[in-house]
Amino acid sequence: MDSVHDLGGKQGYGPIEVDEPDVPFKYEWEGRMWGISSCSGSSDWTIDWWRHVREAIDPVDYLTRPYFDSWAQTELAAYVDSGVFTLEEAISGKCQSEAFEAPPSITVGEAVARDKKRDTSFEVEAVDAPRFSVGDSVVADVVASSHHTRLPAYVRGKPGEITAHHGAHIFPDLSAQGNEEGQHLYSVAFSAQDLWQDCENPSDMIYLDLWESYLEQA
Amino acid sequence: MATFDTKNITKIHQALHSHLPSDSALRVKALESLLVEKGLVNSETIDAWVEAYSEEIGPKRGAKIIAKAWLDPSYKQRLLEDATAAITEFDYHGHATAHLKAVENTSSVHNLVVCTLCSCYPFSILGVAPNWYKTAAYRSRAVREPRSVLLEFGVTLDDKVKVQVWDSTAELRYLVIPQRPQDTEGWNEEQLAALVTRNSMIGTDRDLNSNRGEA
Repeated sequence: MDSVHDLGGKQGYGPIEVDEPDVPFKYEWEGRMWGISSCSGSSDWTIDWWRHVREAIDPVDYLTRPYFDSWAQTELAAYVDSGVFTLEEAISGKCQSEAFEAPPSITVGEAVARDKKRDTSFEVEAVDAPRFSVGDSVVADVVASSHHTRLPAYVRGKPGEITAHHGAHIFPDLSAQGNEEGQHLYSVAFSAQDLWQDCENPSDMIYLDLWESYLEQA
Repeated sequence: MATFDTKNITKIHQALHSHLPSDSALRVKALESLLVEKGLVNSETIDAWVEAYSEEIGPKRGAKIIAKAWLDPSYKQRLLEDATAAITEFDYHGHATAHLKAVENTSSVHNLVVCTLCSCYPFSILGVAPNWYKTAAYRSRAVREPRSVLLEFGVTLDDKVKVQVWDSTAELRYLVIPQRPQDTEGWNEEQLAALVTRNSMIGTDRDLNSNRGEA
């Protein structure tokens, strides 16, 4: 999706506020949103659908509202889309249908233990041989999916070199549409001077992890 | 069941944009009450997760991993070869670290981590990402002008030092191994871990000598 979330290399932003207080949550509501996100969600969502819902937020809101606010909006919108909430419920914050039986509460220790089980692997068994090997010269596709994709605009059409092969990982462009199929994943190195006319130093490199169908042999 | 339909989700976003209160705290409160009323989550569990990521799961874990890597060359080797397995030795595996890669700073290489498309971060070893990491300013500039970004964080790089920027576009997550400060021979793991900053494990801090203070 070509929206404002695809920020790599875009100009006009900055400077960076580097001296923020070193705390996980500046405001209480940010912690609540983190906590909600850690224990909610719907089994029909994939991580890539969730990302797509977030990147479909109104572009002005995406750029101007606080970060965890976008999580709240994403969660509300995804629940409405899945039919778990009605739009009226999402807007009013009031339940208008029969409730489920609430899950039992957990302790901090149980949360820490549960976090260890969130190490979800995205690697799947490959169905075909990889098309590329380490050292191959490739070019990233010029066009990308208008649904969700993890091929950022700033490398499209640019030459790079395969530096690692990671086996097959779930392909986000399809996973965001509910279809969790694997595809070979590679680390690809791009030279700063191939990406930016005014690059800061020609020896700098930018590495991206890209799926096989994003790439062509150079 | 999710529609997976961009048009549908855009319509829902527009309706929410028009009708939700503007205050983020009120929005989150409404979401929490609705989830609780529906019986989908419970507030004590949310409290537990907030506490877990405020007190237990955070950059102190990453700092211990780095200190161990500085002290034990065979651990550093394992960390560079398979970081997910290496953090599991500390029982620090978890949220978003199933495909972890460690990248090492040297006198001639500096590594910097970003997620230009969203805000991917290795939560189980570094905790909640700092706010600057999630801003448009950092996400847009880190890949195009990493040296200017580093300068804003107080990191000055010689032209001979090569910058490697890692854009987390897939499920791989990155951990920077900073250089061990000079004159720390004989220091133990705890003393060394105290020198490791969160930013040095993302790459927006480099020279840890300056953090030594009274240690």
